[in-house]
Amino acid sequence: MKLFKITKYLLIAVVLVSLAACNDILENVEPATSVSGEVVLSTEGGVNALRASIYSQLRASFDYTTEYFIGPSAFADETRARPGATRFQGLNTAIGTSGTAHLTSFGSTYGIVNDANLIINAIQEGVLPQATLDQYRGEALAIRAYAMHHLVRAYGYEPGMIPSGAIDPNWDLGIIIRNTPTIDVADADERARSTVSQVYDQILSDLGEAKTLLSGITTPNTRVTEPFVDGLTARVNLYAGNWGPAAAAAQDAITNSGLGLVSTADGVAGMFFEDQGGHPEAIFKLDVNPDTEPIGGSNVNSGLAAYTSSQWVSQIPTNLVIDLYEEDDFRLGSFVTDVDGNVITDAESGLREYEGGWYQPCQNDQQSPIAPVGGCDQVNDEGLSTNKWNGGNGNLSDDIPIMRVAEMYLIRAEALAKDAGSVTQPAQDALQELKDARNAGTIPAGALTSLESFETEVLNERVRELVVEGHRFWDLKRTGRDIRNPDGSIKMFYDSYRILGSFGAGLLNVNPRLCENPGYAEFPVENCGPQ
Amino acid sequence: MFGTSLAIAQSGSLTGQVTDSESGETVPGANILITELERGAVTDVDGNYEIANVPAGTYNLTASFVGYRTYRESVSIQAGQETVVNIELRVGAVGLDEVVVSGYAPTTKRELAGSISSVSSKDIQDVPLQNTESLLQGRAAGVRVTTTSGNPGGAFRVNIRGTGSINAASEPLYIVDGVQISFSNQSGQTSTSPLNAINPSDIESIEVLKDASSAAIYGSQASAGVVIITTKRGQEGRTRITARAERGVRSLDPRVDYINGSQYLDYLGEASAINAGFSPANQETFQDAFNTQRDAYENFFINSVFGADPNSPEGSPQLAETNWQDIIYTDGVSSKYNISASGGDDQTAFYVSGGYEDTEGTAFDTDFTALRVRSNLDHKISDQVSGSLNLNLSRTTQFGVCQDGNFINCPVSQAMFEPIFSFPYLADGSYNPNTRFGLGNNPVAVRDEVDRNVAVFQIVSNANLTYRPTNWLSFSGLVGIDYRNTQDERFDSPIVRPAQGGFLNFANRNLNNITMNLTANGRKTFDNVHNVSGFIGTEYRRRYSENQFVTGEGFPGTFFKVLSASSTPTTAAGTNTEWRLGSYFGNAKYNYDEKYYLSVTARYDGHSRFGANTRWGFFPSIQGAWLMSEEDFFNVDFISELKLRAGYGTTGNSSIGDFSARGLYSTVGSYLGATALTPTQLANVNLSWEEAVEVNVGVDFEALDGRLSGSIDVYQKDNNELLLARPLPGDSGFGAITENIGSVRNEGIEFEINSVNLNTSDFLWSTRFNIAFTSNEILELPDGEDIDPNSTTQSLRIGEAIGAIQVPKWAGVNPADGRPMWYDIDGNITYNPEQSVDAVDYNNGIENTVGGFGNTLSYKGITLDAFLQFSFGQWALASSDYYFTRTPDFRMNLEEQVLERWKQPGDITWVPRAVESGNDFTETANFRTQLGTNSFNNASYIRLKNVSLSYSLPGAVTDRLGIGNIRVFATGINLLTWTAWPWYDPEIAFSPTDIFTNVSAASYPTERQVNAGIEIQF
Repeated sequence: MKLFKITKYLLIAVVLVSLAACNDILENVEPATSVSGEVVLSTEGGVNALRASIYSQLRASFDYTTEYFIGPSAFADETRARPGATRFQGLNTAIGTSGTAHLTSFGSTYGIVNDANLIINAIQEGVLPQATLDQYRGEALAIRAYAMHHLVRAYGYEPGMIPSGAIDPNWDLGIIIRNTPTIDVADADERARSTVSQVYDQILSDLGEAKTLLSGITTPNTRVTEPFVDGLTARVNLYAGNWGPAAAAAQDAITNSGLGLVSTADGVAGMFFEDQGGHPEAIFKLDVNPDTEPIGGSNVNSGLAAYTSSQWVSQIPTNLVIDLYEEDDFRLGSFVTDVDGNVITDAESGLREYEGGWYQPCQNDQQSPIAPVGGCDQVNDEGLSTNKWNGGNGNLSDDIPIMRVAEMYLIRAEALAKDAGSVTQPAQDALQELKDARNAGTIPAGALTSLESFETEVLNERVRELVVEGHRFWDLKRTGRDIRNPDGSIKMFYDSYRILGSFGAGLLNVNPRLCENPGYAEFPVENCGPQ
Repeated sequence: MFGTSLAIAQSGSLTGQVTDSESGETVPGANILITELERGAVTDVDGNYEIANVPAGTYNLTASFVGYRTYRESVSIQAGQETVVNIELRVGAVGLDEVVVSGYAPTTKRELAGSISSVSSKDIQDVPLQNTESLLQGRAAGVRVTTTSGNPGGAFRVNIRGTGSINAASEPLYIVDGVQISFSNQSGQTSTSPLNAINPSDIESIEVLKDASSAAIYGSQASAGVVIITTKRGQEGRTRITARAERGVRSLDPRVDYINGSQYLDYLGEASAINAGFSPANQETFQDAFNTQRDAYENFFINSVFGADPNSPEGSPQLAETNWQDIIYTDGVSSKYNISASGGDDQTAFYVSGGYEDTEGTAFDTDFTALRVRSNLDHKISDQVSGSLNLNLSRTTQFGVCQDGNFINCPVSQAMFEPIFSFPYLADGSYNPNTRFGLGNNPVAVRDEVDRNVAVFQIVSNANLTYRPTNWLSFSGLVGIDYRNTQDERFDSPIVRPAQGGFLNFANRNLNNITMNLTANGRKTFDNVHNVSGFIGTEYRRRYSENQFVTGEGFPGTFFKVLSASSTPTTAAGTNTEWRLGSYFGNAKYNYDEKYYLSVTARYDGHSRFGANTRWGFFPSIQGAWLMSEEDFFNVDFISELKLRAGYGTTGNSSIGDFSARGLYSTVGSYLGATALTPTQLANVNLSWEEAVEVNVGVDFEALDGRLSGSIDVYQKDNNELLLARPLPGDSGFGAITENIGSVRNEGIEFEINSVNLNTSDFLWSTRFNIAFTSNEILELPDGEDIDPNSTTQSLRIGEAIGAIQVPKWAGVNPADGRPMWYDIDGNITYNPEQSVDAVDYNNGIENTVGGFGNTLSYKGITLDAFLQFSFGQWALASSDYYFTRTPDFRMNLEEQVLERWKQPGDITWVPRAVESGNDFTETANFRTQLGTNSFNNASYIRLKNVSLSYSLPGAVTDRLGIGNIRVFATGINLLTWTAWPWYDPEIAFSPTDIFTNVSAASYPTERQVNAGIEIQF
């Protein structure tokens, strides 16, 4: 009897314990909106989602949209803050030790690079048909090159462009090359910066491989295609001083894209409106669904249009920009006049009516009773804002043209002349072709007198054509020019240490092998660890 | 099974009468309990009780009743005999034999060696509060309870013994009758709490397991303490019915003082004249300029900004003078009805109750209703098998408002943002579109055109089966369900959202939280002096939650508020998540002759949240006590009981993301219709719990014949292995990885005392008091590096407290020109202090001294209870008030302090001169945004938390009416507050998980409520 009792308790105890023998129960818990790496890299759906991520990150990142396009204008002389508005005011003034790090982001760039690296190196064999895999890898290589180029121009001098007055006349460090994916925490090792030429070699090699992989793929322009690889190759070679390859690649981009220049007044005026022109010159544009795909978390706060043409209406084109246009330039537009030549004023809004071009009188839409949009006339005499980024499709964000065919004509013009060492006819023709399309007259005779004056004219044409499209500061830097304020005063000499960005304490503390650029006193170059 | 009939033959019965030791009167309603068998009875009207069919043996018998010390005696039951035990109860405070619920088995206070605070039903019976957390405020030593939102049914921050975690939650684990309650997946529309499901009237007691040696039995979930809520149960005896009804008013006091319209124009006129270059030193020219500018502003406001008051006299437009606080805050009405019945026979006992409450808040139309029913059944199937079923169903609804933060559509921020010059309605009665943020945010439009309805249905239920094969051993199984369905509905009418044509946002949230456990429980005495007891058990818990969200836009009007009426559905989303926990646990207790106590506890937990290498954790504890007063050598006459105790234990904190240890790809938007997945988190197979190691030493004492009792506890608690982000090289594509690094220490002293000061035949005066002191220090951080070391309010620095404030020192106003001044780090005056250089350490957000003080006076059926609660040591920034109501940058209200401003050279004051905006001062930091030591205020307060006055009709009257008892009462909460805090409410906590508690932003203030009611017992 007693034994039986003990056995019974023992049995109950065993049942009790075994019921919870449950490591298995704990293992089989899976998240609903996340998945593990193996699932992504070993299934077609997973790889497609990873591919989407590269584009989605470019679109969602403030650093690769609003800051990418408007930052270089605000940091140089193309735009200034409307009185009372503060967005990018810091870039306008840029006092103290601020450098070009403002214009890019280490974190965003390497986030995109890591996605690309996963597609390039980590997709399991057999998941995709070879042709599809080639295409995805080509896209990833091109975007890796695009992101790395954006970063290297912020942190390093262009090849051969170290200024004579630099603190260290031999300073040639570029950025860290990451061409393998981070899958495990062990992959997140500490790396040193490569030299500028090593970085450019890597970028051009990526682009070469991408061109092979994407050969013959020319549409749609909402994805990376061969013409975009051509265009990026042209741009990178232009920065690298490889004039011949730059000109050739620009021509390839024009040819392979099959895109022409828009050449009517209405066409030019509407080309940035997604609901009108829909970006007819875009070699590559990011598709944006304004309702569901925010920039920097919120189109209303951080979108391109929010910074330039609505909401904050913060960065306004300067007189330097407006004054560069000929009177009838399609890109400028004009005030509407009556038969007597007087400007017509709209009775209801009290605004002077404006027609055409990429500009409009500063919107007077009162965001609240006490904060009307005003003060644009303190930035440019006509009180114009630019509506290149207009959010016409709603919710302050349209598709974003990353690269337009017009830039290719400008690259060709500059590179052909520099390659020849003189202002050749083909160089003139490339520039004139663009001017003709824009009804912008002929190249002034003075611009043809020397290579330098021609370069100046090309840079001016780049302002007219590419204002707030992410070029101005970089154009001045890559040509070794000082950065000026709109009134011509010096903002930053080219040989100032501030022309290169600062990595800052956060990155340097984590990675002792990362060298700060010279001149940023808190982290002297001597503190760099083993390279 | 077998032996049942044998057991009856071998059993006897126990009867007796309970009387008051002093008066000799019988005590009806006293609880009699045979501890080992967990069987009991309640005395009848004549104080008699009977417990039948008690197996022969020796047992511990206890008798307890409100206001009396618990009686305790050992009794022997002989087979086939009736044993008579008459009991005399002595008036007094809580005794050591009070039963407390401390884990998987009840125990007596005598046996406890850890630190547990108790709140019993008698402490809270007349407190008209909506939920359970608030009952702990000031009543449990060392438990810091802060209102995060004063709206009825709103949430609280409950912090036991300091902030011990940085990134994991530091909320305690709540357990209701053995069911572990989940706090996740709550409403997104208003502040609420899952404990709203429990009717405070059903609560028998709340125990707070504060130290690790007590809480270790809950292992990985216990490092922030455990709150155990036990509801009332039926007892053998006559059925007793209690009905209760009360009604009252809820109001907000005090208000914030803002300047009036004329003062506002004076201010702007003065500012504008100074900005135009006129010196106040030259009175005449200045006065002219002032008049001109003042008029200009007035005209500008009337013509271009706010428009004229619609009630202006014909032909002479004037600015409005609207007191928005009066519009936004209006008194609410509260009513509450409860009925309960309890009773039972020797086989079945029951407690059933039902209650309905409707309480209106003050801001807009906030409202809380609760319909709750409970049924607690105990049934003895045989002598060996018994079962119980607790079922609590509740449906609570809230009409919410948006909460903390500088949001332009939240009532509390609107009360500061909407200036005196704007007005709610145009002359034709339509909403004024020219309010500060337009029609869509006109406060009356938000009040009337925006609905935030939250309906929560909850089941908190458990079933329990106990098998007791012998009188020293039992097996018990429990299945507990915590189910919550929350339906959030937000409707913005087309009037306030014309661009979208109105919208309706509907969220359906489900939470399934299941606890199952099995325990074996034993208790045996050898040689009369060796008392051994203990239990082992296993438990499984799973929490699964899911949500669906739908939004529709384009409504034809305000009459249809259903999704079918929307023209465009815009959002359809949904997600789910879960975690699982498996555990083994055990406890062994030994005491020698009830003098020396030793207890060892351990729990072994496996959690799905953690890394594959570190999935299982072990949490041991040990505690011991010495009942010194039982020793022969102890002969201090006035001390009747003295107990020294010490405990040491380890607990864990598993409150992190459900998948924090995994390497994950997550959705990051989409491109061209394809969902995007990107790696967002690297795997950490070693990720594990945060661990708290705590030492607690305490003394319990009882003196002067039980008239004075209390306890002192001293603790040191180190929270180690804190989950913190270790930065990774950014070029890896990842910013950081979460690892177990970091350590925080909390130390403190807690003191509780209860006394019966006066006790004559019809007058009783008793006092209760508790106070707790605490300090906090960060010991270790990743790589030894401080996190955000220069942050004003959120720095995490080794050697400093979480919530430390650092800010430049304020130097007052320059008497020459009225500019604000600060000190730089060298003590020189500066107009542009730099946070990273010039900030000095200045107080912190910790309530380092908290407690409560209560007095009860009764005289012939009249009882007055007054309870004060206090908090000292916390400093905080009232960010919204500071940023928005001290300068007129945004044309919002201005606080009355601007009347003290500098007006002319030579003025010595602390308020700078009038400005049109905060950056008007030349070459001076923006006064609106530059913080200084003047920006932080002391949030210490003493609050008259609860006063209740009740009168029970004399027995002679109720007897004639055939009614057990009639009691009428009046009661109030938050009646008075003494504080130096100049705004609404010194209770500063941004959310239930705020760890810094040094910033508030337009938080919904704590409200006052006064109720009166009647309670009838049959």
